[in-house]
Amino acid sequence: MKIIASTYLSSKGAYLNGEKIVQFTDENWLKACYQHLALDYPKFYKMDNLSKMAVLGVELLANSGIFSQIDTNDLELLFANSNASQHTDLKFIDSYTVAKNPSPSLFVYTLPNILTGELAIKHKWYGENSFYISPNFDAQLFATKIHQAYKKGVNYCLCGWIDSKLEANSTLSEESFLFLVALNEENASLHQEIEQLMTQYNQKEKE
Amino acid sequence: MSELKETLKTQIISQLSLEDLTPADIADDMPLFAEDGLGLDSIDALEFIVLLESNYGLKIADPSQGREIFHSVNSLADFIEKNRN
Amino acid sequence: MNNTVYLSYGTFVSPLGVGIEANFNALKNGESGVQLQPKSGFNQEDWYFSKINTLPENRYDTLLKLALADLKKQYSTAVLQDAQTLFIVSSTKGNIDALPNDVFASSREIIQKETNNPNNVIIISNACISGVLAINAAADYIQFSGYKTVIVIGIDVVSDFVLYGFQSLYALSDAPVQPFDKNRKGISLGEACGIVVLSKDQPSNFSVEYLGGASSNDANHISGPSRTGEGLFRAINKTIERNSIDKTNIDFISAHGTGTLYNDEMESIAFNRCELAHIPLNSLKGYFGHTLGAAGVIETLVAMFSIEHQLLFANKGFEELGTSQPLSIVQSTHSSSVKTVLKTASGFGGGNAALLIRALS
Repeated sequence: MKIIASTYLSSKGAYLNGEKIVQFTDENWLKACYQHLALDYPKFYKMDNLSKMAVLGVELLANSGIFSQIDTNDLELLFANSNASQHTDLKFIDSYTVAKNPSPSLFVYTLPNILTGELAIKHKWYGENSFYISPNFDAQLFATKIHQAYKKGVNYCLCGWIDSKLEANSTLSEESFLFLVALNEENASLHQEIEQLMTQYNQKEKE
Repeated sequence: MSELKETLKTQIISQLSLEDLTPADIADDMPLFAEDGLGLDSIDALEFIVLLESNYGLKIADPSQGREIFHSVNSLADFIEKNRN
Repeated sequence: MNNTVYLSYGTFVSPLGVGIEANFNALKNGESGVQLQPKSGFNQEDWYFSKINTLPENRYDTLLKLALADLKKQYSTAVLQDAQTLFIVSSTKGNIDALPNDVFASSREIIQKETNNPNNVIIISNACISGVLAINAAADYIQFSGYKTVIVIGIDVVSDFVLYGFQSLYALSDAPVQPFDKNRKGISLGEACGIVVLSKDQPSNFSVEYLGGASSNDANHISGPSRTGEGLFRAINKTIERNSIDKTNIDFISAHGTGTLYNDEMESIAFNRCELAHIPLNSLKGYFGHTLGAAGVIETLVAMFSIEHQLLFANKGFEELGTSQPLSIVQSTHSSSVKTVLKTASGFGGGNAALLIRALS
């Protein structure tokens, strides 16, 4: 197994394969990223932050041409985060406790796996999808699942940690880490490679 | 009428939580439910029904009428003007 | 890979009772947990749903503890705390009352406290297909990742959050749910906790063989099913192909059948595309309501009942078929030869999942 592409997004900037592509200074960084990518996809505006982060991250990968180099026929989507759809959950609760009108357009995003649906819709990916919840980024979880996919004959996995967490001081801490893995052979150190990649991005983000 | 349309745009943005948009991003004649318009769908159509009821006291008897009424800000404004009083 | 994966009972907690026997007997008697719940809606509307009335405050946590307590009567401490035993939880909303804090924290804490299991609890939150996905994942952990026992817990509770949400989508029925019926009007929610156990070694109690499963995305819409049933069609075909099963050997299909116009119609299209329309089929939502993250697990438990007791359960709430394509709906509970069962699920996010189980030879 080999990580053949990766992106990292946060309110500070966007990275593709380790290189910084754009810096964000605006609080509305998701919109800034959308505009930077000149992504003509009106549905974007309806999405919750998790779906937006996933769609933008995948768009960065798509723009690099990687998807046209591989067979996406059975591309497996393996995603995870720490707090499911916490941010949208709270907004939905507000819609019926404060605005006194439960909002259907918010409710449909109160499930973390909706983001894999958005990716599947946009890119016409019909493969296996699953969404996991773990308290922190867990490279071992991804490595184990990728290994299982390999054993079942899957050729590529698109993995993502799309996280949105309310911190103690009520700020939203968001990051989108996506990596595409080619499953051509065993790799006992995949777990470490995934871990290192995430660490590198986190470090670059702090610079 | 143009004041109503501007108000409607603000209400649409708020009702559908389209936080990234400003009223300037929604043209009066933009097809709200088309792929190349705002890309809204059947779920959003339900939000419009709520919007009409909460803000204008107008009930849509048959949700399938919705598509025509909600086609654009223009058609929405027309409907409200016609049925408001 | 020719290693048999065994699937056996854990436990079953629903409004119909606590335990495998209790739920089996209640089903056999045609009982339903779906009841009128007056003034439960956002505007005080009356809705029907299946609720465990005896759950006090902190309902999700209490339900989980109740189920684990029953599980512990059957499984030794040694097995539960073994390093080669893994726990997987399937839930759509977890303990929603915990918001704004982590809604899944209590699941991890309670399991670890009750079992002393050293492994991280795996949590799958993938809308209504979570349960089937979790069972499929459990088999993968046994076949490819060295675990001997994987305990899958499917659990969700009815909450104002979810009820109001489905209400806002106009997806609730104002009558008890009628899966696949001409007059169906939507879903009836439900709550339950089901536990199944997958193992590498044949258990001493009743078990079936887990043959395999797959999932597929419709790539169409985040909350409406594909009009062509594309994802379900692919999930079923992949499941059947992976196991070199002959379609003609499937004795029964435990479908998803939520009772909405669109879902049930989509399933009829998918099952026909798969050439499975002639196989006896039902939805269990009429007995338990739609239990979301628990559905795939409790409905697989019932599929196991069918194999153990050679019994097919009626599609409760059904009178006349209301889908454009034919289906062989089980209309009365009766004895039947049941060896191989296909279980399917579909959910928000365009997910579809299927699995196959079979009586041991």
